[in-house]
Amino acid sequence: MARGLAHLSDEALVALVARADEDALAELYDRFGRVAYGLALRIVRDPALAEDAVQEGFLAVWRSAARFVAERAKASTWILTLTHRRAVDLVRREQPRRADPLDVAPHESSDDTEEEAWLRLRRTRVQEALKQLPDKQREALELAYYGGFTQSELADRLGEPLGTIKSRMFSGLANLRDLLVEDELEEEQWKEPRSTN
Amino acid sequence: MERAEIHELSAAYALDALDANELEEFEEHLARCPECRANVASFRAAASELPYDTYAPEPPAALKERILVEATRERPKVVALPRRRWALPIAATAAVAAGAAAVGLGFWAVDLSQQVDDLEAQQERSEEVAIMVANPGSDRFSLDGANGVLVVDAETQEGALLISGLEEAPADKTYEAWVIEGESVSPAGLFAGGDDATTVVPLTAPVPEGAIVAVTIEEAGGVEAPTQDPFITSGEEA
Repeated sequence: MARGLAHLSDEALVALVARADEDALAELYDRFGRVAYGLALRIVRDPALAEDAVQEGFLAVWRSAARFVAERAKASTWILTLTHRRAVDLVRREQPRRADPLDVAPHESSDDTEEEAWLRLRRTRVQEALKQLPDKQREALELAYYGGFTQSELADRLGEPLGTIKSRMFSGLANLRDLLVEDELEEEQWKEPRSTN
Repeated sequence: MERAEIHELSAAYALDALDANELEEFEEHLARCPECRANVASFRAAASELPYDTYAPEPPAALKERILVEATRERPKVVALPRRRWALPIAATAAVAAGAAAVGLGFWAVDLSQQVDDLEAQQERSEEVAIMVANPGSDRFSLDGANGVLVVDAETQEGALLISGLEEAPADKTYEAWVIEGESVSPAGLFAGGDDATTVVPLTAPVPEGAIVAVTIEEAGGVEAPTQDPFITSGEEA
Protein backbone atom coordinates (compact mmCIF):
# COMPACT_ATOMS: atom_id res chain seq x y z
CA MET A 1 0.00 0.00 0.00
CA ALA A 2 1.51 3.26 -1.12
CA ARG A 3 -0.24 5.35 1.53
CA GLY A 4 -1.23 4.56 5.06
CA LEU A 5 -4.98 4.23 4.79
CA ALA A 6 -5.34 1.33 7.18
CA HIS A 7 -6.40 3.58 10.05
CA LEU A 8 -9.33 5.07 8.12
CA SER A 9 -12.89 3.90 8.65
CA ASP A 10 -14.65 2.11 5.82
CA GLU A 11 -16.88 5.13 5.36
CA ALA A 12 -13.94 7.52 5.16
CA LEU A 13 -12.47 5.32 2.44
CA VAL A 14 -15.70 5.57 0.46
CA ALA A 15 -15.47 9.36 0.76
CA LEU A 16 -11.98 9.16 -0.75
CA VAL A 17 -13.21 6.84 -3.48
CA ALA A 18 -15.82 9.50 -4.29
CA ARG A 19 -12.86 11.73 -5.08
CA ALA A 20 -11.50 9.12 -7.47
CA ASP A 21 -8.79 7.91 -5.08
CA GLU A 22 -7.55 4.54 -6.35
CA ASP A 23 -5.57 3.77 -3.20
CA ALA A 24 -8.78 4.02 -1.19
CA LEU A 25 -10.51 1.64 -3.59
CA ALA A 26 -7.60 -0.79 -3.19
CA GLU A 27 -7.91 -0.58 0.58
CA LEU A 28 -11.66 -1.24 0.44
CA TYR A 29 -10.92 -4.23 -1.76
CA ASP A 30 -8.37 -5.50 0.75
CA ARG A 31 -11.02 -5.28 3.46
CA PHE A 32 -14.03 -6.68 1.62
CA GLY A 33 -12.83 -8.29 -1.61
CA ARG A 34 -12.54 -11.68 -0.05
CA VAL A 35 -15.96 -11.81 1.57
CA ALA A 36 -17.46 -10.35 -1.62
CA TYR A 37 -15.75 -13.07 -3.64
CA GLY A 38 -16.99 -15.77 -1.27
CA LEU A 39 -20.50 -14.37 -1.57
CA ALA A 40 -20.39 -14.19 -5.37
CA LEU A 41 -18.91 -17.66 -5.64
CA ARG A 42 -21.72 -19.14 -3.60
CA ILE A 43 -24.29 -17.49 -5.83
CA VAL A 44 -22.83 -18.02 -9.30
CA ARG A 45 -20.93 -21.23 -8.44
CA ASP A 46 -18.27 -20.55 -11.00
CA PRO A 47 -14.93 -18.88 -10.20
CA ALA A 48 -14.72 -16.84 -13.41
CA LEU A 49 -18.30 -15.57 -13.06
CA ALA A 50 -17.68 -14.82 -9.39
CA GLU A 51 -14.71 -12.68 -10.35
CA ASP A 52 -16.91 -10.83 -12.84
CA ALA A 53 -19.50 -10.16 -10.15
CA VAL A 54 -16.89 -8.85 -7.71
CA GLN A 55 -15.28 -6.69 -10.38
CA GLU A 56 -18.62 -5.19 -11.36
CA GLY A 57 -19.55 -4.71 -7.73
CA PHE A 58 -16.37 -2.80 -6.93
CA LEU A 59 -16.61 -0.76 -10.10
CA ALA A 60 -20.15 0.15 -9.08
CA VAL A 61 -18.63 1.32 -5.80
CA TRP A 62 -16.07 3.32 -7.75
CA ARG A 63 -18.68 4.97 -9.94
CA SER A 64 -21.31 5.75 -7.36
CA ALA A 65 -19.33 6.45 -4.19
CA ALA A 66 -20.34 10.10 -4.31
CA ARG A 67 -23.94 9.05 -3.78
CA PHE A 68 -23.21 6.88 -0.77
CA VAL A 69 -24.84 8.28 2.37
CA ALA A 70 -22.92 7.12 5.41
CA GLU A 71 -25.76 7.86 7.82
CA ARG A 72 -27.98 5.36 6.07
CA ALA A 73 -25.78 2.33 5.68
CA LYS A 74 -22.41 0.93 6.60
CA ALA A 75 -19.95 0.90 3.73
CA SER A 76 -19.58 -2.87 4.06
CA THR A 77 -23.33 -3.34 3.67
CA TRP A 78 -23.31 -1.15 0.60
CA ILE A 79 -20.40 -2.95 -1.03
CA LEU A 80 -21.85 -6.39 -0.37
CA THR A 81 -25.27 -5.25 -1.58
CA LEU A 82 -23.80 -4.05 -4.87
CA THR A 83 -21.83 -7.27 -5.28
CA HIS A 84 -24.85 -9.38 -4.41
CA ARG A 85 -26.97 -7.64 -7.01
CA ARG A 86 -24.33 -8.20 -9.70
CA ALA A 87 -24.01 -11.86 -8.80
CA VAL A 88 -27.78 -12.36 -8.84
CA ASP A 89 -28.03 -10.62 -12.21
CA LEU A 90 -25.34 -12.93 -13.56
CA VAL A 91 -26.86 -16.12 -12.20
CA ARG A 92 -30.27 -15.20 -13.56
CA ARG A 93 -28.76 -14.70 -16.98
CA GLU A 94 -26.69 -17.87 -16.94
CA GLN A 95 -28.56 -21.14 -17.43
CA PRO A 96 -28.57 -23.88 -16.29
CA ARG A 97 -27.96 -22.91 -12.75
CA ARG A 98 -28.41 -23.39 -9.05
CA ALA A 99 -28.95 -27.12 -8.78
CA ASP A 100 -28.61 -26.82 -5.06
CA PRO A 101 -27.36 -23.44 -4.02
CA LEU A 102 -26.67 -24.43 -0.44
CA ASP A 103 -24.35 -27.26 -1.24
CA VAL A 104 -21.08 -25.46 -0.78
CA ALA A 105 -18.73 -27.27 1.51
CA PRO A 106 -17.17 -24.79 3.87
CA HIS A 107 -13.62 -25.50 4.84
CA GLU A 108 -11.66 -24.04 7.67
CA SER A 109 -8.51 -22.17 7.05
CA SER A 110 -5.43 -23.34 8.85
CA ASP A 111 -4.09 -19.79 8.89
CA ASP A 112 -4.11 -18.17 12.26
CA THR A 113 -3.97 -14.55 11.27
CA GLU A 114 -5.86 -11.72 12.92
CA GLU A 115 -8.08 -11.52 9.87
CA GLU A 116 -8.96 -15.20 10.14
CA ALA A 117 -9.81 -14.79 13.80
CA TRP A 118 -12.03 -11.82 13.05
CA LEU A 119 -13.82 -13.67 10.27
CA ARG A 120 -14.30 -16.65 12.57
CA LEU A 121 -15.96 -14.47 15.18
CA ARG A 122 -18.34 -13.02 12.65
CA ARG A 123 -19.07 -16.46 11.27
CA THR A 124 -19.97 -17.75 14.71
CA ARG A 125 -22.19 -14.76 15.28
CA VAL A 126 -24.23 -15.13 12.10
CA GLN A 127 -24.38 -18.92 12.39
CA GLU A 128 -25.74 -18.63 15.92
CA ALA A 129 -28.39 -16.19 14.71
CA LEU A 130 -29.36 -18.41 11.78
CA LYS A 131 -29.68 -21.42 14.07
CA GLN A 132 -32.32 -19.61 16.08
CA LEU A 133 -34.55 -18.98 13.08
CA PRO A 134 -37.43 -21.37 12.32
CA ASP A 135 -36.27 -23.79 9.62
CA LYS A 136 -38.65 -22.53 6.97
CA GLN A 137 -37.66 -18.93 7.47
CA ARG A 138 -33.98 -19.81 7.25
CA GLU A 139 -34.60 -21.85 4.12
CA ALA A 140 -36.44 -19.00 2.41
CA LEU A 141 -33.70 -16.51 3.31
CA GLU A 142 -30.87 -18.72 2.15
CA LEU A 143 -32.53 -19.75 -1.08
CA ALA A 144 -33.33 -16.14 -1.92
CA TYR A 145 -29.98 -14.70 -0.89
CA TYR A 146 -27.66 -17.42 -2.16
CA GLY A 147 -29.83 -19.06 -4.80
CA GLY A 148 -30.68 -15.82 -6.54
CA PHE A 149 -34.29 -17.00 -6.85
CA THR A 150 -37.05 -14.44 -7.16
CA GLN A 151 -39.87 -14.76 -4.66
CA SER A 152 -42.11 -16.26 -7.38
CA GLU A 153 -39.47 -18.83 -8.31
CA LEU A 154 -39.14 -19.66 -4.64
CA ALA A 155 -42.88 -20.16 -4.30
CA ASP A 156 -42.80 -22.59 -7.27
CA ARG A 157 -39.77 -24.41 -6.00
CA LEU A 158 -41.11 -24.84 -2.48
CA GLY A 159 -44.69 -25.47 -3.60
CA GLU A 160 -46.05 -22.72 -1.40
CA PRO A 161 -48.33 -19.76 -2.13
CA LEU A 162 -46.47 -16.57 -3.00
CA GLY A 163 -48.02 -14.81 -0.01
CA THR A 164 -46.54 -17.42 2.31
CA ILE A 165 -43.09 -16.92 0.83
CA LYS A 166 -43.32 -13.16 1.17
CA SER A 167 -44.30 -13.40 4.83
CA ARG A 168 -41.62 -15.98 5.48
CA MET A 169 -38.87 -13.82 4.00
CA PHE A 170 -40.11 -10.79 5.90
CA SER A 171 -40.34 -12.55 9.26
CA GLY A 172 -37.07 -14.36 8.68
CA LEU A 173 -35.15 -11.24 7.85
CA ALA A 174 -36.76 -9.25 10.67
CA ASN A 175 -35.83 -12.03 13.12
CA LEU A 176 -32.29 -12.24 11.79
CA ARG A 177 -31.93 -8.48 12.08
CA ASP A 178 -33.16 -8.47 15.66
CA LEU A 179 -30.90 -11.36 16.65
CA LEU A 180 -27.87 -9.66 15.12
CA VAL A 181 -28.68 -6.34 16.75
CA GLU A 182 -28.50 -8.08 20.10
CA ASP A 183 -24.74 -8.30 19.86
CA GLU A 184 -24.22 -5.05 18.07
CA LEU A 185 -21.92 -3.84 20.83
CA GLU A 186 -19.65 -6.80 20.42
CA GLU A 187 -19.52 -6.12 16.73
CA GLU A 188 -18.31 -2.61 17.38
CA GLN A 189 -15.39 -4.08 19.28
CA TRP A 190 -14.53 -6.37 16.40
CA LYS A 191 -14.49 -3.60 13.91
CA GLU A 192 -11.43 -1.87 15.29
CA PRO A 193 -8.31 -3.95 15.05
CA ARG A 194 -8.22 -5.97 11.92
CA SER A 195 -5.34 -6.19 9.61
CA THR A 196 -5.54 -7.48 6.11
CA ASN A 197 -2.88 -8.75 3.83
CA MET B 1 -51.15 -5.12 -5.06
CA GLU B 2 -52.69 -4.28 -1.73
CA ARG B 3 -50.98 -1.64 0.28
CA ALA B 4 -50.54 -3.70 3.43
CA GLU B 5 -48.92 -6.40 1.40
CA ILE B 6 -46.45 -4.20 -0.40
CA HIS B 7 -44.63 -3.36 2.85
CA GLU B 8 -43.63 -7.01 3.10
CA LEU B 9 -41.69 -6.69 -0.12
CA SER B 10 -39.01 -4.69 1.69
CA ALA B 11 -37.51 -8.07 2.66
CA ALA B 12 -37.54 -9.52 -0.84
CA TYR B 13 -36.14 -6.23 -2.08
CA ALA B 14 -33.26 -6.34 0.37
CA LEU B 15 -32.55 -9.92 -0.74
CA ASP B 16 -32.68 -8.98 -4.46
CA ALA B 17 -35.56 -11.45 -4.83
CA LEU B 18 -37.95 -9.30 -6.87
CA ASP B 19 -38.41 -9.67 -10.61
CA ALA B 20 -38.16 -6.62 -12.84
CA ASN B 21 -41.84 -5.65 -12.63
CA GLU B 22 -42.05 -6.12 -8.89
CA LEU B 23 -38.86 -4.15 -8.51
CA GLU B 24 -40.22 -1.19 -10.41
CA GLU B 25 -43.46 -1.22 -8.46
CA PHE B 26 -41.73 -1.52 -5.12
CA GLU B 27 -39.20 1.23 -5.81
CA GLU B 28 -42.09 3.56 -6.59
CA HIS B 29 -43.61 2.64 -3.26
CA LEU B 30 -40.26 2.98 -1.50
CA ALA B 31 -39.89 6.56 -2.62
CA ARG B 32 -43.10 7.38 -0.72
CA CYS B 33 -42.73 5.14 2.33
CA PRO B 34 -40.23 6.08 5.05
CA GLU B 35 -41.13 2.95 7.01
CA CYS B 36 -40.09 0.70 4.13
CA ARG B 37 -36.90 2.69 3.60
CA ALA B 38 -35.99 2.11 7.22
CA ASN B 39 -36.80 -1.59 6.88
CA VAL B 40 -34.79 -1.95 3.69
CA ALA B 41 -31.79 -0.32 5.35
CA SER B 42 -31.85 -2.60 8.38
CA PHE B 43 -32.70 -5.65 6.27
CA ARG B 44 -29.76 -5.01 3.98
CA ALA B 45 -27.49 -4.64 6.98
CA ALA B 46 -28.74 -8.00 8.29
CA ALA B 47 -28.51 -9.72 4.89
CA SER B 48 -24.96 -8.45 4.51
CA GLU B 49 -23.96 -10.51 7.53
CA LEU B 50 -24.99 -13.70 5.73
CA PRO B 51 -21.83 -13.90 3.58
CA TYR B 52 -19.82 -14.28 6.77
CA ASP B 53 -21.51 -17.55 7.65
CA THR B 54 -19.04 -19.70 5.75
CA TYR B 55 -15.37 -19.64 5.03
CA ALA B 56 -14.57 -17.47 2.02
CA PRO B 57 -11.61 -18.54 -0.12
CA GLU B 58 -9.09 -15.91 -1.16
CA PRO B 59 -9.92 -14.51 -4.60
CA PRO B 60 -7.19 -14.78 -7.23
CA ALA B 61 -4.59 -12.04 -6.80
CA ALA B 62 -5.12 -10.91 -10.39
CA LEU B 63 -8.68 -9.83 -9.61
CA LYS B 64 -7.60 -6.86 -7.51
CA GLU B 65 -5.22 -5.75 -10.22
CA ARG B 66 -7.92 -6.00 -12.85
CA ILE B 67 -10.38 -3.95 -10.82
CA LEU B 68 -7.82 -1.21 -10.20
CA VAL B 69 -6.77 -1.09 -13.85
CA GLU B 70 -10.37 -0.84 -14.96
CA ALA B 71 -11.11 1.82 -12.32
CA THR B 72 -8.19 3.89 -13.53
CA ARG B 73 -9.34 3.50 -17.12
CA GLU B 74 -12.79 4.75 -16.13
CA ARG B 75 -11.40 7.56 -14.05
CA PRO B 76 -12.67 10.43 -16.19
CA LYS B 77 -16.20 9.22 -15.54
CA VAL B 78 -15.83 9.66 -11.81
CA VAL B 79 -16.65 13.18 -10.68
CA ALA B 80 -13.93 14.35 -8.35
CA LEU B 81 -14.78 17.08 -5.90
CA PRO B 82 -13.01 20.20 -7.11
CA ARG B 83 -10.55 20.87 -4.34
CA ARG B 84 -7.77 23.05 -5.57
CA ARG B 85 -9.13 24.97 -8.47
CA TRP B 86 -12.27 26.20 -10.04
CA ALA B 87 -11.96 24.16 -13.20
CA LEU B 88 -15.17 22.27 -12.58
CA PRO B 89 -15.57 18.96 -14.34
CA ILE B 90 -18.65 19.82 -16.34
CA ALA B 91 -17.80 17.37 -19.10
CA ALA B 92 -17.11 14.72 -16.51
CA THR B 93 -20.46 15.42 -14.91
CA ALA B 94 -22.22 14.74 -18.18
CA ALA B 95 -20.24 11.55 -18.65
CA VAL B 96 -21.12 10.24 -15.24
CA ALA B 97 -24.78 10.97 -15.77
CA ALA B 98 -24.66 8.59 -18.70
CA GLY B 99 -22.34 6.09 -17.08
CA ALA B 100 -23.77 5.92 -13.61
CA ALA B 101 -27.33 5.50 -14.79
CA ALA B 102 -26.52 1.84 -15.30
CA VAL B 103 -25.31 1.46 -11.74
CA GLY B 104 -27.92 0.02 -9.44
CA LEU B 105 -28.30 2.67 -6.82
CA GLY B 106 -31.55 1.35 -5.44
CA PHE B 107 -32.12 2.51 -1.94
CA TRP B 108 -29.45 5.16 -1.94
CA ALA B 109 -31.18 6.98 -4.76
CA VAL B 110 -34.46 7.37 -2.90
CA ASP B 111 -32.67 9.62 -0.46
CA LEU B 112 -33.96 12.50 -2.56
CA SER B 113 -37.55 11.74 -1.73
CA GLN B 114 -36.63 11.82 1.95
CA GLN B 115 -35.40 15.32 1.34
CA VAL B 116 -38.78 16.20 -0.07
CA ASP B 117 -40.51 14.65 2.94
CA ASP B 118 -38.37 16.74 5.26
CA LEU B 119 -39.15 19.82 3.31
CA GLU B 120 -42.87 19.28 3.35
CA ALA B 121 -42.74 18.93 7.12
CA GLN B 122 -41.44 22.46 7.44
CA GLN B 123 -43.12 23.96 4.45
CA GLU B 124 -43.75 27.29 6.11
CA ARG B 125 -40.08 28.10 5.74
CA SER B 126 -40.34 28.88 2.12
CA GLU B 127 -43.53 28.33 0.27
CA GLU B 128 -41.97 29.18 -3.06
CA VAL B 129 -39.29 26.57 -2.67
CA ALA B 130 -41.86 24.02 -1.57
CA ILE B 131 -43.90 24.66 -4.68
CA MET B 132 -40.84 24.28 -6.86
CA VAL B 133 -39.78 21.07 -5.17
CA ALA B 134 -43.26 19.62 -5.41
CA ASN B 135 -43.41 20.46 -9.11
CA PRO B 136 -42.56 17.27 -11.01
CA GLY B 137 -41.30 19.46 -13.86
CA SER B 138 -38.46 20.84 -11.73
CA ASP B 139 -34.99 19.46 -12.37
CA ARG B 140 -33.20 17.78 -9.50
CA PHE B 141 -29.46 17.37 -9.17
CA SER B 142 -27.53 15.37 -6.64
CA LEU B 143 -24.98 17.08 -4.42
CA ASP B 144 -21.41 15.99 -4.02
CA GLY B 145 -20.04 16.66 -0.56
CA ALA B 146 -23.37 16.76 1.25
CA ASN B 147 -26.58 14.88 1.66
CA GLY B 148 -29.08 16.89 -0.32
CA VAL B 149 -30.38 18.04 -3.64
CA LEU B 150 -30.37 21.04 -5.95
CA VAL B 151 -33.82 21.81 -7.37
CA VAL B 152 -34.14 24.09 -10.39
CA ASP B 153 -37.18 25.34 -12.24
CA ALA B 154 -35.84 25.28 -15.80
CA GLU B 155 -38.36 27.87 -17.00
CA THR B 156 -37.73 30.57 -14.41
CA GLN B 157 -34.15 29.46 -13.63
CA GLU B 158 -35.00 29.74 -9.94
CA GLY B 159 -33.09 27.30 -7.83
CA ALA B 160 -32.83 26.10 -4.25
CA LEU B 161 -30.46 23.89 -2.32
CA LEU B 162 -31.88 21.40 0.17
CA ILE B 163 -29.18 20.09 2.44
CA SER B 164 -29.78 17.82 5.40
CA GLY B 165 -27.59 17.44 8.45
CA LEU B 166 -25.54 20.53 7.69
CA GLU B 167 -23.74 21.72 10.81
CA GLU B 168 -24.07 25.33 11.77
CA ALA B 169 -21.33 27.51 10.34
CA PRO B 170 -18.77 28.72 12.90
CA ALA B 171 -19.69 32.02 14.62
CA ASP B 172 -17.49 34.23 12.47
CA LYS B 173 -18.20 32.37 9.22
CA THR B 174 -21.07 31.91 6.82
CA TYR B 175 -21.93 29.45 4.12
CA GLU B 176 -22.15 31.07 0.71
CA ALA B 177 -23.78 29.61 -2.37
CA TRP B 178 -22.45 30.23 -5.88
CA VAL B 179 -23.80 29.73 -9.37
CA ILE B 180 -21.01 28.84 -11.75
CA GLU B 181 -21.51 29.05 -15.47
CA GLY B 182 -18.33 28.60 -17.44
CA GLU B 183 -15.94 31.31 -16.24
CA SER B 184 -18.64 33.29 -14.48
CA VAL B 185 -19.17 32.82 -10.75
CA SER B 186 -22.12 34.64 -9.15
CA PRO B 187 -22.87 34.88 -5.43
CA ALA B 188 -26.23 33.22 -4.75
CA GLY B 189 -26.96 33.71 -1.08
CA LEU B 190 -25.66 33.33 2.47
CA PHE B 191 -26.92 30.83 5.00
CA ALA B 192 -26.00 29.46 8.40
CA GLY B 193 -26.97 25.78 8.42
CA GLY B 194 -27.59 23.99 11.70
CA ASP B 195 -31.28 23.46 11.01
CA ASP B 196 -32.98 20.50 12.63
CA ALA B 197 -33.92 18.68 9.46
CA THR B 198 -33.21 20.22 6.10
CA THR B 199 -31.47 23.48 5.42
CA VAL B 200 -33.36 25.19 2.62
CA VAL B 201 -31.44 27.77 0.61
CA PRO B 202 -33.39 29.70 -2.03
CA LEU B 203 -30.74 30.85 -4.48
CA THR B 204 -30.57 34.58 -5.15
CA ALA B 205 -28.97 34.16 -8.57
CA PRO B 206 -30.60 32.45 -11.57
CA VAL B 207 -29.41 28.93 -12.36
CA PRO B 208 -29.12 28.58 -16.14
CA GLU B 209 -29.02 25.20 -17.83
CA GLY B 210 -25.61 23.56 -17.48
CA ALA B 211 -24.57 25.74 -14.54
CA ILE B 212 -23.17 24.24 -11.37
CA VAL B 213 -24.09 25.35 -7.88
CA ALA B 214 -21.40 25.23 -5.22
CA VAL B 215 -21.06 26.16 -1.55
CA THR B 216 -18.04 27.56 0.26
CA ILE B 217 -17.39 28.71 3.81
CA GLU B 218 -16.55 32.44 3.94
CA GLU B 219 -16.07 35.20 6.48
CA ALA B 220 -19.34 36.34 8.09
CA GLY B 221 -21.10 38.82 5.84
CA GLY B 222 -20.09 36.98 2.71
CA VAL B 223 -17.77 37.88 -0.16
CA GLU B 224 -18.17 38.85 -3.80
CA ALA B 225 -16.01 36.04 -5.13
CA PRO B 226 -15.19 32.73 -3.44
CA THR B 227 -11.97 32.64 -1.46
CA GLN B 228 -12.24 28.98 -0.53
CA ASP B 229 -12.58 25.71 -2.37
CA PRO B 230 -16.20 24.58 -2.51
CA PHE B 231 -17.10 21.71 -0.22
CA ILE B 232 -20.45 21.10 -1.88
CA THR B 233 -21.03 20.99 -5.63
CA SER B 234 -24.06 20.00 -7.62
CA GLY B 235 -23.63 16.80 -9.60
CA GLU B 236 -25.61 14.84 -12.13
CA GLU B 237 -29.31 15.18 -12.67
CA ALA B 238 -31.27 12.85 -10.42
